[in-house]
Amino acid sequence: MDTKPFVVLQDVAKRWNGQLGVEEISLDIDEGSFVALLGPSGCGKSTTLRLLAGLEIPDEGQILIEGRDVTTSAASARNLSMVFQSYALFPHLSVAENVIFGLKVRGVPRAERREKMARALEITGLGGLEHRKPSELSGGQRQRVALARAIVAGQRLCLMDEPLSNLDAKLRNSVRKDIKKLQRDLGITVVYVTHDQTEAMSLADKIVLMREGRIQQIGSPDDLYNRPANTFVAEFVGAPPMALIEPGIVEDLSPGRTLGIRAENVEIAKKGKGRLSCIVSEAEFLGNETLIGLEHKGVRGLTVMKPGLSLVPVGERVEVTFNNQDLHVFDEVGRRVSEQLTEK
Amino acid sequence: MSRLGTLLEQAGAILLAVIWISPLLFAFWAAFHTSSDAVSFNLLSPWTLDNFRTAWEGAPWLRYFLNTFLLVTIVLIGQFFFTTLAGFAFAKMDFPAKDFVFILVLMQLFILPEVLIVENYAMVSRLGLFDSLFGVGMPYMASAFGIFLMRQSFKSVPIELHEAARIEGCSLLGILWRVYVPLAKPTYLAYALVSVSTHWNNFLWPLIVTNSPDTRPLTVGLSIFGAPENGVDISVISAATMMSVAPLLVAFLLFQRQFVQAFLRAGIK
Repeated sequence: MDTKPFVVLQDVAKRWNGQLGVEEISLDIDEGSFVALLGPSGCGKSTTLRLLAGLEIPDEGQILIEGRDVTTSAASARNLSMVFQSYALFPHLSVAENVIFGLKVRGVPRAERREKMARALEITGLGGLEHRKPSELSGGQRQRVALARAIVAGQRLCLMDEPLSNLDAKLRNSVRKDIKKLQRDLGITVVYVTHDQTEAMSLADKIVLMREGRIQQIGSPDDLYNRPANTFVAEFVGAPPMALIEPGIVEDLSPGRTLGIRAENVEIAKKGKGRLSCIVSEAEFLGNETLIGLEHKGVRGLTVMKPGLSLVPVGERVEVTFNNQDLHVFDEVGRRVSEQLTEK
Repeated sequence: MSRLGTLLEQAGAILLAVIWISPLLFAFWAAFHTSSDAVSFNLLSPWTLDNFRTAWEGAPWLRYFLNTFLLVTIVLIGQFFFTTLAGFAFAKMDFPAKDFVFILVLMQLFILPEVLIVENYAMVSRLGLFDSLFGVGMPYMASAFGIFLMRQSFKSVPIELHEAARIEGCSLLGILWRVYVPLAKPTYLAYALVSVSTHWNNFLWPLIVTNSPDTRPLTVGLSIFGAPENGVDISVISAATMMSVAPLLVAFLLFQRQFVQAFLRAGIK
């Protein structure tokens, strides 16, 4: 077993004059894994992907793919494929011609081309649409053509730049599953850029959360959800996000520390028994549960989850309680502190 | 009021159309009548094909047709080649003083080709291309209008397509050939229509730079045929004129819709 990572980014930086690029990006990607680059728009996740693809050349640092230094190599020399947000299908070519575009450019013989195309179309369920033009396809079909083009050459690294953002919510779910299945069946390594944390959580083995050009945390979805490295991660990951309680609001547990609590760990308490007394600011019924948003001075994003339909009138005063072991503790600058609070 | 307005507009349009087409109609009518009937404008006179016979025998028309055809083809091929490469460079590549050079190219649009006739004549002679079809076409090949048109068209191609082709392993020229050129097809068509009709009708420059029936295009041949020293016969000249404009006219009637649409589409972009 080779333990060397498949893709390595080492202290990569890219700056544009006056504009923020990315700084100090160091990242290892194992072969066959699904890595999501997650973050709000403008955080540098797409830039990171483009650096990896060879569409941009870094100002600093090193990029290795399969142990080969490709920092300044051309995009075509990196043995990877890419799915673009807008799909980037060639409008003048049919589905079949789009899929085999790269094979043709690289001079693959006709018989082999046909064989590979047939396989890619079968995997992506596009049989029978070979002769359509992209303009005659639905959004989901275009998406699948882009996927077929990405897998047809059999590259082991596939980059995806927000491939689902142009689809409607229902289709997004099914295509999401397709992508995951495809990745697992073909055993390819996928680097996936998204701003949608549910997408990242459900797809990725490893999530890289970025903000303002820097990596905030690298970890499994479990790490990011249950052990956020800082308050930004805590507030970005999870729906609803983690509530943050400023120092000194709850009876002084840990002076000077910000506390975090997830909605599922908050409960409504009887009058006089709660630890915080809040005002209901909104109530959202989602079908299987109801989210009740609460307001309290010094507390951000406090929410209670109640099963089924249990709307509470807005403006009502409720008391809530929670266990100390469910609290996350952050220091003054927002970094996670690994101290555990046990006494209640 | 507005109804009266539209009525006036329509009447104006019809009037202009009649004024515009009347010389062509007269030439057409005169070509099929004897010259005495044509001059006296005798509407009931009999039709005849003699003028065409006389005109056809009066000059090497077949050679002229061939020359014009070769000329517009050479010019068009040259223009496609140069404007594609230059337009692509201006649209998608970075090189020093790019904007300055582009402005120089655009300034060429302000200069009438007639102003440069002497300079072009000297240049074509120095190159030893005097009295050759290539020499007639050469000054028009690096057309500023064409470069501008291609640049605009290439600029409208989404950058993702360029990047996708790059990742798939295309070279720069490969991307130009496989992505940009096919996507600019409507622009090429519009430009080809303009170029062909311009150079089919071009007269002054070919008149100066050609010297023999082997290189003369139709327009020059026609003017020599109709020159006063050959005697003015309005009907025969009309017949010859009809012959020279016929291919372009037929092509325009056939491709009218594409002609107009090509411009609309190229314009909307």
